[in-house]
Amino acid sequence: MSNPDFINIAPQSVRLFFQSFFKTLVYFIVLILALAGVYKAFPLVVDALFLIIIAAILTAVFNPLVDRLESSGLRRLYGTLLMFGGIFGLVALGVVKGIPTLLNEVGRIKDVIQETSATESLNSMMGDINSRIAEYIPGFQLDLDLISSLSAQFFGQLGSLLAGALDTLATIIFILIITMFFLVDGKRMTKQLIGMVPNRYFEMSLNITYKTKQQLTNFLRGQLLAALGVGIQSFIGLSLLNWIFDTNISGVLLISTIAGMANMIPFVGPFMGMVPAIIVSLFNNLGDPIAASHFYYIIHIISMFLIVQIIDNNIISPIVVSGSMEMHPLTVILLILVGSQIGVLGMFLAVPAWGISKVIIQEVYQGLKGHHLI
Amino acid sequence: MKEKANISYPLFESFKDKLKPKRSQAQMALSQVNVFSRLSWQEIKIVENAVHIRNYAPGEPVFKQGDPGSGMYVIIEGCVGIFLDIPSQTPKQLSSLGDGDFFGEIALLDASPRTAAATAIENSTIIGFYRPDLMDILKTKPALGGKILLALSEVLAVRLRSTNGELVKASRKLEAFLDSEANE
Repeated sequence: MSNPDFINIAPQSVRLFFQSFFKTLVYFIVLILALAGVYKAFPLVVDALFLIIIAAILTAVFNPLVDRLESSGLRRLYGTLLMFGGIFGLVALGVVKGIPTLLNEVGRIKDVIQETSATESLNSMMGDINSRIAEYIPGFQLDLDLISSLSAQFFGQLGSLLAGALDTLATIIFILIITMFFLVDGKRMTKQLIGMVPNRYFEMSLNITYKTKQQLTNFLRGQLLAALGVGIQSFIGLSLLNWIFDTNISGVLLISTIAGMANMIPFVGPFMGMVPAIIVSLFNNLGDPIAASHFYYIIHIISMFLIVQIIDNNIISPIVVSGSMEMHPLTVILLILVGSQIGVLGMFLAVPAWGISKVIIQEVYQGLKGHHLI
Repeated sequence: MKEKANISYPLFESFKDKLKPKRSQAQMALSQVNVFSRLSWQEIKIVENAVHIRNYAPGEPVFKQGDPGSGMYVIIEGCVGIFLDIPSQTPKQLSSLGDGDFFGEIALLDASPRTAAATAIENSTIIGFYRPDLMDILKTKPALGGKILLALSEVLAVRLRSTNGELVKASRKLEAFLDSEANE
């Protein structure tokens, strides 16, 4: 108090603090209102943005292939057309051959789950399982209603998801067309966009864009290759189980696809792939007294998925998946919880979306730090 | 004969001019740089499509000392000064570069921090050729990328030879100095 400067400076600094605080607050409110306005007034912009993001992700996946074709002397346009010819061929084959089979399979499993007689048989079977478990773990009870409702919900959502995908075939084609433009002209578009950045941030923006694109491509390619690996292994494994042990698992293709896709979710994914196989096997073996007397086929399925996971974790993933996906288990659980608010699709996309965001944030941070901007 | 030549000459020249391919300023500037001097015009056109043409106002930094190096620059038009920042002193100007000059080519191979700053002295139009652009060329046009890398290696080899020569000269001078000190 004896220092007169303190008396003079203190109120001024407080005033400056409040001025800057209110200024920031006003900016923040204006920004929120602007964002809300854009969101409310132009929902089409949001939809278009979503399509563009999906197309950008697909571009990141297919770009190395088009680059490879271009490096062999083919013009970029022809390389892209050649690749898309192949993709459209596969999609057409999938739509004509695969999707109806998958939908039939989903519908059949859904019907079996919802049938009362099946549930009654299941009740007796679950009672048997619970009595066996009670021998080892007293007081443990598997809740049948919960399992039944969860599985019905799971297959129901999956069915509506696939049916929705068919309904929005036009959207898929639209996305593929945008992807084609991105693949042919993406470099020029990126160059023009980066060209708008002021000189001060230009080098940094260019480096960040390049590194992010590289990381994103590696990440997505790794994820897809790992998913494909798990899908193929599951398909072979389940087919072998059917062939050798007569496990009676139907819809092997659908279950393998789920197992492959679910594998993108660390920790929880492998179980998500295993559960449909067990459920289908349980329902298919309901009327079989031999199968009902023991549950070895469940052990076979679990063992098969464990072997697939061992191969994936120790051989495939270390080769194809970039290290950027390393996440704390708690983060994964929280992300899946957040994603589940949107539904099954949200659960699938939450972890990869966070992985992509993490790569972008890391690259932007490193770039800003390298150029002494933070 | 003379009259005939007078009539046909301008016509022929005009026809030749029309047939002559138009070269952009950027293509001309790139062809003068030793890294690209051995490339065909078609290859230079591919490089031109990959590079970035930037305009700088007087006093505007092209890059700062300590920034991570990410590429080389070719001056199409204007003037750029290379400055060495010395703590608590005004930056020391090392050189001044003009039309067709280039700098920073080693940064195409090495991301180590810039050892000096480059600042536009007057309004300048500069070509920036960065590592991502080179990587892109290497991926999509490997033969062209190989040519550029070979030329860059030659630049490095010449510099290394020159540095070795300087080192030999300096060590001889040092030996002579030590000998004279020992004799005294």
